[in-house]
Amino acid sequence: MKKTASDERKSSILRTSLFVTVLIGLFVFLILTVLAAVTFGNADLSLKDVYSVIAYRLFRIKSLSDYGEGAVHDVVWLIRLPRVLLALAVGSALSVCGVVMQAIVQNPLADPYVLGVSSGASLGATLSIMLGIGGIFGGNSVGVMAFFGAMISSFAVLAIANMGGKATSGKLILSGMAISSVCSAFSNFVIYISNDKNASAEIVRWTMGSLGGASWDRVTVMLPLMIACTLIFLTQYRNLNLMLLGDDVSITLGADLHRIRTVYLVLASVLVGFAVYSAGMIGFVGLVIPHIIRILFGTNHKRLIPLSALLGASFLIWCDVLCRIILKNSEMPIGVLVAIIGAPCFIYLLVKRSYGFGGGKT
Amino acid sequence: MKISAEDITVTFWAREVLKGISVEAGNKEFVGIIGPNGSGKSTLLKCIYRILRPDNGAVYLDGTRLHSMSVKNSARKMAVVAQHNYYNFDFSVREVVLMGRAPHKKALERDNARDYEIVEEALRTVQMEEFGDRVFSTLSGGEQQRVILARALAQQTPALILDEPTNHLDITHQLLLMELVKQLNVTVISAVHDLNIAAAYCDRIYVLKDGHVEGCGTPQEVLTPEMIRKIYKVDAEIVYDSSGKMHILFV
Repeated sequence: MKKTASDERKSSILRTSLFVTVLIGLFVFLILTVLAAVTFGNADLSLKDVYSVIAYRLFRIKSLSDYGEGAVHDVVWLIRLPRVLLALAVGSALSVCGVVMQAIVQNPLADPYVLGVSSGASLGATLSIMLGIGGIFGGNSVGVMAFFGAMISSFAVLAIANMGGKATSGKLILSGMAISSVCSAFSNFVIYISNDKNASAEIVRWTMGSLGGASWDRVTVMLPLMIACTLIFLTQYRNLNLMLLGDDVSITLGADLHRIRTVYLVLASVLVGFAVYSAGMIGFVGLVIPHIIRILFGTNHKRLIPLSALLGASFLIWCDVLCRIILKNSEMPIGVLVAIIGAPCFIYLLVKRSYGFGGGKT
Repeated sequence: MKISAEDITVTFWAREVLKGISVEAGNKEFVGIIGPNGSGKSTLLKCIYRILRPDNGAVYLDGTRLHSMSVKNSARKMAVVAQHNYYNFDFSVREVVLMGRAPHKKALERDNARDYEIVEEALRTVQMEEFGDRVFSTLSGGEQQRVILARALAQQTPALILDEPTNHLDITHQLLLMELVKQLNVTVISAVHDLNIAAAYCDRIYVLKDGHVEGCGTPQEVLTPEMIRKIYKVDAEIVYDSSGKMHILFV
């Protein structure tokens, strides 16, 4: 098929404007998602009640001052909204971390969960809660310990996978599994011997994921952290693109990625650490969301990062809503639900795309 | 730009792959490096384009020591077309070529219209302008090689290093690529397998064998039946056609 240069330009402009449209579309969808998600829950509240509380707290409208306190206010403002915003932050964070880790290890199968980083974070958090290790870090000591756990396990996975030759996808996934099992075993051991009455609840929370512990304290840490890291990674799109070409080629293109890679891994670990601290281990978000975006918009990180962040946020909010309503008078662990949705999606992508990732034919 | 490699020694494990090699390419000179498999051609080129650090000796670009420059700076001075370009991820052809602009960009600088123009021009030069939106990994080996050449062109460097660039290319595109590189009028150092191509395009040729320079000079000086027998252990005959071009026949 012959195409002229002007046709080419037209089609690339079309792709760019499609990208902008989808970006705005996803952003609007995210806002609508947040507004819709706060109306779901166990307590039977009318739409008017819910939005009145939010309107009062945001804009201090005098006529709505009745909604400034009481049970309705507490349910909406102290339980539901923080939970939705936390889901937003965690969903974005996990998607962006997935994108970045896939670039770091140059492998589209990387993900904080698959690489054992989430388990490391979980171990760090467990040590902090159960044994009080890391108390010197003050109020956010659990988050800080989760970050250390995430960072140590991610470096360990990279080191093991690089032993005796360059890391391949098989070696990466196997070492991720190994580190993941070791970390989970240790966390479970710690929880088991500490003989805590709430131990079983904690195990569920860390290993299956839950946004039930959401509070404004957590949101005010997680949300700004997620936004900051996403913006930082967004400015690094050129390096992230080069990373996928390998170290040798990037040197000839003017970027020595050795040190930068470590910086990115630390930054991603901070994000995963705090995400796990806030919501436990939730797998597959970082795997499936970037995949979907890649298929539609290719691998260029300039587009991949913002779109993944927005889609990941909406995705996790809806998953959390489903978790709350799917079982009567009980809550389904979100990690379980995401795995039930995410794993088959991943298998489908793997089979259908026959290991070709992103772009597609145009 | 002048490139000189002085007294390069590279040892892999206990084996000396390069034994103190000195190579030089003057401004806008097309220098070919020939030699049998395992003679150290690629290793030498890798030292020049900075992927390997020689155990001894150094590479100089216009008299400046390569390892004292920033990576970004050296990428502005020389571009590389190497043998293997396999990517696990799918970039469009245009995105791959656009990466050639990376060394010219500051950390937060955006790609501007000029960059896209350069990319389109580079694609046109390698006759791949119709492939801009295709996914790189779906192209044939030869097409990929041309895209990589376009990326090197987009770097707009005064020097080009070619590491057996005509692998995977059919004869049309082998000649096209060499012709194109020749017309760029920049300093070129290229590893070449095909002696006839070396004879046709190189200003000067270095012959490598077992990690040292066996001979160097113009194609006429170097590509003699004696040298070819010594290096490749095959008998050859040199003939000149009616237009005075040199051809090597293997007999």
